[in-house]
Amino acid sequence: MESPPESVYTQAESYAPAEGAVADLVAALPDFPGFAKRSWAELPCTRAGVEDPDYTNVELRYQFSAEDSATPLVNERYVDLLREHWRGLGHEIIRDDTTELDDATYRDLTAVREDGITLWYSAAHLATLMVQSGCVPRSDPSEIPYVPPSGGIRPGGKGDGVGEYFPEGIPAARPANPFDAPDTYDDQL
Amino acid sequence: MGAMTWQQLRDLDCGAIRALGDGWKSYVDAMLDQTERLRTDVVDGHLAVEHYESDTAARVREQIGLTADRYEDDLSDYASTRIATTLHEAADAFEAEQGEIKELVPLIAAHDFEIEGDPAEYDVNLSGELHRAILTTDPPQWLCDMVGIAKPAGAFDLDRLKVLFNGVDLYGTAIGLAGQYQDWLRAVMSRTRDADDEAAAALTEMREHPTELPPRLGAAYDELVGDYREAVSEEVAAEAKAIAEGTSGMSPEQVNQWWDHLSDSERDALVEDHPGWVGPVDGIPTGPRDTANRSLLDREIDGLDAQIADKERLLAGTDPESDEYETLTEAVDGLKDDRADLGRLHDRITDDDGGPAASSQTGQPFNLLGFDTEGGGRAVIAIGDPDGADNVNTYVPGTGNSLGTAGGLLSRAETMAFDAQRLGGGDDTATVMWLGYDTPDDLVQATDAAFAREGARDLESFTKGLRATADGDPANLTVTGHSYGTTMVGTAAASEGLPADNLVMIASPGTGVDTASALGADEDRVWATVNRDDPIRYAPVHGMDPTEDGFGANTFTSDAPAESSEWWKFWEGPIADHSSYWDENNGISRDNQAYIVTGNEAGVR
Repeated sequence: MESPPESVYTQAESYAPAEGAVADLVAALPDFPGFAKRSWAELPCTRAGVEDPDYTNVELRYQFSAEDSATPLVNERYVDLLREHWRGLGHEIIRDDTTELDDATYRDLTAVREDGITLWYSAAHLATLMVQSGCVPRSDPSEIPYVPPSGGIRPGGKGDGVGEYFPEGIPAARPANPFDAPDTYDDQL
Repeated sequence: MGAMTWQQLRDLDCGAIRALGDGWKSYVDAMLDQTERLRTDVVDGHLAVEHYESDTAARVREQIGLTADRYEDDLSDYASTRIATTLHEAADAFEAEQGEIKELVPLIAAHDFEIEGDPAEYDVNLSGELHRAILTTDPPQWLCDMVGIAKPAGAFDLDRLKVLFNGVDLYGTAIGLAGQYQDWLRAVMSRTRDADDEAAAALTEMREHPTELPPRLGAAYDELVGDYREAVSEEVAAEAKAIAEGTSGMSPEQVNQWWDHLSDSERDALVEDHPGWVGPVDGIPTGPRDTANRSLLDREIDGLDAQIADKERLLAGTDPESDEYETLTEAVDGLKDDRADLGRLHDRITDDDGGPAASSQTGQPFNLLGFDTEGGGRAVIAIGDPDGADNVNTYVPGTGNSLGTAGGLLSRAETMAFDAQRLGGGDDTATVMWLGYDTPDDLVQATDAAFAREGARDLESFTKGLRATADGDPANLTVTGHSYGTTMVGTAAASEGLPADNLVMIASPGTGVDTASALGADEDRVWATVNRDDPIRYAPVHGMDPTEDGFGANTFTSDAPAESSEWWKFWEGPIADHSSYWDENNGISRDNQAYIVTGNEAGVR
């Protein structure tokens, strides 16, 4: 039986570079108001239309509050800045569109990095940055490392919605600082 | 009595049925005034303790109170819930189908088709005149328009020659349209029969179970009244049991009315003592269903642990070379699989303190609306509270799913919930993962429509239950099928009827019908998508691909983001694309689904 396409990372390895991408984004955005919430999601990875339990799609989700999402800074200016930033990094932009609703304008910008990680900024009612690993080999839950959040979310705090991965409690976390992400996460892989 | 004909449906006076239901409702209201008078004017008035204080007076007051209670219960259970609601539901259902018939029959006539055959399975065929017109290469204007020719004007007209020599398929086109009308007509009559049968069942059950009355006053009163009170209590339990076992004939709306009429203590007792009569029942509100199902889940897990321990003890004393040993080993493995599946389900919806967990993606609580380990297993889990939500999206998965894959399906449903929250403008959207049917195991089984037919009534009942338990205004209700799930949704919609505002068909191998009109929903709110590389588009084994123009649904865009690992493994990408509608690089599909679910159709592209 064929497996899904080869990936650069395993599930456990994917969190650090994905979180690194978020930290990079936060550093690139001026007047950053802070995220309200982060969570880690997993989507089924399928083969021949049937779920393959040995693989999973990891998606990191960082969300602004509804109030901040409605500001021109988050809804519009950040889209322009991210477009420029991601192009500058050589990422391929695969989606760049605007949706006009009756009472709001939503914007979507999606880029793919060379390592296969996808970055999706959705400037919507709840503006969200999603970082997606693609199909990666599933890891044992005990192997998944705690990676502190970026963007003003307090590790282990109310907005840090990754508790289900750490049933014994969030590991001792350093103070939240969105701007102190390391340059590379290589040593953590 | 034979099945209703389309002519009878067309001419049916639905207003008279509804008026009859209104009459019963008015009667109930008037009669409730009488029992109120009995209580206030007699029990608390003329016969009040301050006027008559004696054992006999107390018995009289009690007997009158019991009679009033009995009368009110019967008014509620029979006159209101059974008769009036049955009449109202039947009138609504017949009227909806009558509207379809009044739209459809003129179309059939206008195209020179004829309705033939038995009402149980009407055929729509070409009329003799239409046959002649085609054979003489003198097709009617509508057929010329459909095949893209001008109506032939003479014997040597160019378009007549095209008809004769260029293979313009007049017959195929006409038969195709007749087939669509036939699908539509059969679906209308199927739903009509369903409504008729349900009404008949509700009324029949009422006649077959007359209720007891309180004992008469007299020497044996004291002796009998205790038995009567016990009988009343047992009656509630018996009703609950009949409802849970599907023998009550009551619709989810009627179940909801019955539930509303119970006292708090009766409801609590049912949830606590008989969770199996509450948890799986459509029409009972989400809260008590969740509580009952969690209790059932704990019991089931404990029961499996005990069975595994028993069988392992037996195994220890059995000859490893014997057939019995092999049989026991298989049984233990099966039990352990079920135990593992239920354990994962339990852990997913339970927090660290043992209480109901909330989704880490949306903060909404998980509500367990049903589960079962029979066959491949089933699970119905809501993210959020469907009873109080502005929007409800019910996701119906397809081939190869079971209790073992429920976790992955729930993750997908959480993504749908997350997207609805992200784009929904502040509306509350509940998302239900409905693995409420036995799905085909593989693609070969998926060519069989039997799985969809067998699940149709359950999906109908579940969606009607969502309608019945809604607090206040009904939610904007979407039913989303994926892959074989669209066959499930389409079959249920066409044969039983689904009370949904939106039907969404994703990567469909066919919906069981060839036209959106047959689905009983507003065609403007039937949606379909398939990405360009998804191989399912070449396998419409259950009817027309709903994304085709001729089907009549709206379509929306989905990307095909999957890639093959090697150039020569050309099949990997397309196969992965069949399930890529929630994957990375397919934000457009996710957004479109969320816009539909949250009523923001203007955003769909």
